[in-house]
Amino acid sequence: MASEIKLPRLGQGMESGTIVKWLKSEGERVEKGEPLYELDTDKVTQEVEADASGVLLQIAIQEGEVPVGRTIAVIGEEGEEVPTSMNGGEEPPPGSAESDVQTVEAPSQAPAREPEREQVRAAPAETEVSVQSDGGRVKASPLARRIARERGIDLSSVAGTGPEGRIVAEDVERAEVGAAPAPVAAPVPAGEVERRELTSVRKTIARRLTEAWQIPVFQLQTSVDMTRANALVERLREGGTKATVTDVLTKVCADALMRHREVNAQWTDDAILLFPTANIGIAVAAPQGLVVPVIHGAERLRLAEIAAARADVVGRARDGKLAREDLEDGTFTISNLGMFRVEQFTAVLNPPQAAIVAVGATEEKPVAVDGEVVVRPMLTLTATFDHRAVDGAPAANFLQTAKELLEEPGLML
Amino acid sequence: MPELSYREAVRDALATAMRKDDDVFIMGEDIAEMGGSMGVTQGMLDEFGKERVRNTPISEIAIVGAGIGAAMQGMRPVVEVMYEDFLTVSMEQIVNQAAKHRYMSGGQLKVPLTIRTQGGAGWSPGAQHAQQVEAWFVHVPGLKVVFASTPTDVRGLLWSAIYDDNPVIFFEHRTLYGLKEDVPDDVEPIAIGESRVHREGSDVTVVATGRLVHEALKAAEEAESEGVSVEVWDPRTLQPLDVDGLVASVKKTNRVVVAHEAITRMGFGAEIAAVVQEQAFDWLDAPIERVGAKFAPLPFAPVMEEYVVPHAADVLEAIKRTVARG
Amino acid sequence: MAKVEAKRGLSEERLREFLREMLLIRRFEEKVEERFRAGDLPGFLHVAIGQEAVAVGVCQAMEDGDVFASTHRAHGHTLARGTHPNAVMAELYGKLEGCSHGYGGSMHLYDVERGNLGANAVVGGGLPAITGAALAFKLRGEPRVAVAFFGDGATNIGTFHESLNLAQLWQVPAVFVLEDNHWAESTPESQHSPIRDLSKRAEAFGMKVMKADGQDVEEVHRVAQRALKHARDGKGPVFMHVETERLVGHYIGDPQVYRDKEELHRLQETRDPITLLREKLGISDEEFEADDQEVQEIVEASVEFARAGTDPKPEDALKNIYA
Repeated sequence: MASEIKLPRLGQGMESGTIVKWLKSEGERVEKGEPLYELDTDKVTQEVEADASGVLLQIAIQEGEVPVGRTIAVIGEEGEEVPTSMNGGEEPPPGSAESDVQTVEAPSQAPAREPEREQVRAAPAETEVSVQSDGGRVKASPLARRIARERGIDLSSVAGTGPEGRIVAEDVERAEVGAAPAPVAAPVPAGEVERRELTSVRKTIARRLTEAWQIPVFQLQTSVDMTRANALVERLREGGTKATVTDVLTKVCADALMRHREVNAQWTDDAILLFPTANIGIAVAAPQGLVVPVIHGAERLRLAEIAAARADVVGRARDGKLAREDLEDGTFTISNLGMFRVEQFTAVLNPPQAAIVAVGATEEKPVAVDGEVVVRPMLTLTATFDHRAVDGAPAANFLQTAKELLEEPGLML
Repeated sequence: MPELSYREAVRDALATAMRKDDDVFIMGEDIAEMGGSMGVTQGMLDEFGKERVRNTPISEIAIVGAGIGAAMQGMRPVVEVMYEDFLTVSMEQIVNQAAKHRYMSGGQLKVPLTIRTQGGAGWSPGAQHAQQVEAWFVHVPGLKVVFASTPTDVRGLLWSAIYDDNPVIFFEHRTLYGLKEDVPDDVEPIAIGESRVHREGSDVTVVATGRLVHEALKAAEEAESEGVSVEVWDPRTLQPLDVDGLVASVKKTNRVVVAHEAITRMGFGAEIAAVVQEQAFDWLDAPIERVGAKFAPLPFAPVMEEYVVPHAADVLEAIKRTVARG
Repeated sequence: MAKVEAKRGLSEERLREFLREMLLIRRFEEKVEERFRAGDLPGFLHVAIGQEAVAVGVCQAMEDGDVFASTHRAHGHTLARGTHPNAVMAELYGKLEGCSHGYGGSMHLYDVERGNLGANAVVGGGLPAITGAALAFKLRGEPRVAVAFFGDGATNIGTFHESLNLAQLWQVPAVFVLEDNHWAESTPESQHSPIRDLSKRAEAFGMKVMKADGQDVEEVHRVAQRALKHARDGKGPVFMHVETERLVGHYIGDPQVYRDKEELHRLQETRDPITLLREKLGISDEEFEADDQEVQEIVEASVEFARAGTDPKPEDALKNIYA
């Protein structure tokens, strides 16, 4: 019996993904567990494994954005009929078997939490879910404040059920467990306004981004010929290393940062700190929102090691199993929207880091080389710098180096 | 385990001490033949004679002052001020003399005097015969202040007050005199400064004294049936206060109601509230509630008296406010 | 101090001792005035200049085991009962070596070993405790007497009436010594009392009254002995009315604007107990000088002792509150 391969929900909050590339062709034999295709979600590319063995009978969606739950391929035995239902059918997304109730630090919840969650979800719907504040001041009991402080929960994201909307301890506990989650992408009847309740992490993200936006920045942009870089990835893959373009970028940036230490920096009120090692953060869409796990000391790692580290930490991010250390001490961030066919964009700084690079899609473009027009896979890098800590020249030099290394990875040897 | 009333328990402590110890004697108004206006010292004249059970003129200054003098000479007098309203007449001797002799002499003197007194509303005693003034005395360094709420407690604490080497203001409550309970066969001293949990609970701590301990217990029963678990905590000694016990209870429940019959404003509850927020601020999940009498002299007409004075219902409402939602 | 013998008259030797004692008090008080004006001494100070004979006469009549309570004007009583001038001066300087260890000051001098149950800053404040102490002596069957010193101003306050009433009612061994100097601070007796003979107040309670001329130390002593014996013998409390003069202001620095200066001078000339005794004994100038010299040396030494004394630590303020 042929099995339909559907786009999986790889983490809570994931509603869609972009198929970048199929790693198997139609008609090819696939074993369960083998990487089947490359998927980009938000800012990270990852490989998705086949969950059945057989022959890849059909690739229903070659590339592009696909909602979670959509059939994208069929695996079966040679000669089997491909079910017609998959053509155009949209399955309701898998139930939220996983963590509606996860935080980045907490491990996956055991099933026993289910009944609690139901209760918890019921309550906010009945009460006034709004944060009461007094001219900007959040009303919360001392106990609630302490719990929030100890657990790193932002009170402005907690709904208060005490008198006059005061946040009490129970409200904070509930918020940590997971306030009313954004509803799963059930079909919205036409004409109704859909309401996505703000999670505490979303509020935290919003706050931090607002802070970051106030820093005086400038951007530099460059186009990179990815011919060599792509070839390197290809070769590594053939050799068994599951490397991606992101891994190459990581290595390149780490190297460039070591050559241009002024960019591997942080602004503080009384000094600019320059770091001796490149801890590269990879922006990832984790179940509860954007997180930036860090690959520490990337300049010292071989590409294969970077690939392994990246796969591990991104995987854990998706599962909500990141530890504190995974998120600490980042000195630079890579944000990749290439899987969404975004050509170019500007990323917001990830404070307190002084620089971030935004990676667009790699597209075949006509370029001039030695006076002739040729088609090359071109990638646009846009880097944003904290002007308080980094000036134009060092920033430009850094970006130049990155381009050079990407265009000729051998230079890193 | 004999059953004793609160009144009998007081008498038992006095008589046992006087039997054991020639240095203990009692004096006050109408305490001899009449056995005291509250019947506490009934029978004691017969047992101990008029040298040691001394009726006095209506002279609160001299009653307290003579007590001070005898105590300074090493006796352990227990003087009675018939209504705590009349402590006001002897305030100078209590505050300026008894409380301060030890200090002013640089430690040369002790004043092991016990002043027993009683008060409280009920059955229309009127504004000058019903006050609860314990707060004034907690404010005076050098004094100890005790307020027991059960027969076992009052007996054990009076014993300790008599044998404490400091002046102790020992408050009894007139509506508790008839309260009965099984007590240990012998007097079991209860340490001054030791609190008691009358009822354990987990949602809110009700700090209660005197008559309000019993009102709080009633309110706690009621609250239980509504799903709120109430702990009733009785300091028993107001000065020195068992702060550790108080804080431990608050850290457990995260909510506090203080209940006393005395007027709320500037009452003992204000001190409790201040201590709690100083020592357990980060454990409070709700504002501290105070239950006490309204700010008025005690009226005569029963319906007005009922209104001014706090009851179990007031404690219950306060409990509910601490756990309220929305 | 030598135990007093119950004799009719006092030997000259004894009287000379009294003179010396009064002179010590006088010079001590004068030194206190001087030191206060120099800014050495904190707090309130009330000196007993002119009332030395009352202090010496009564205190020297007391026996070991007797107790007394004094007023705000207590240096004379304290010294007369045997507390060393060093300890008193050190207390005025607020030192640990003071008789109250720095906790009391001039108005709260205590020396419990010598029966001194404290000076009192509240007028009449110490009387009820004296009734109580006497009650204790009676209950225990001890041959001890409790003595209260107070002024004419105190005969108006509640503690006076209640204490005398109860003492007489219960027939306790107490002696109430009225040091009648006819002034309550700035208020003359005619303005604070509707009656002239304040001993009538004691009579009103049925209490035995004995009178003495407070400027004649021999008479004071004789009457005090009788009063103490009366009480000690279980015959009940005694009210000892002693007429005396306050030859200075109420407090050091009091300009006495309320007082007739000529009258004051007259009293200073004619009613000084030291002068009167000196004349009575026929003490020569040289003898007097010698005594005076000795006494002044003691007083000077007490100032030096006090100055060199130990200041309490600030945290000591939290000690001695509770037993």
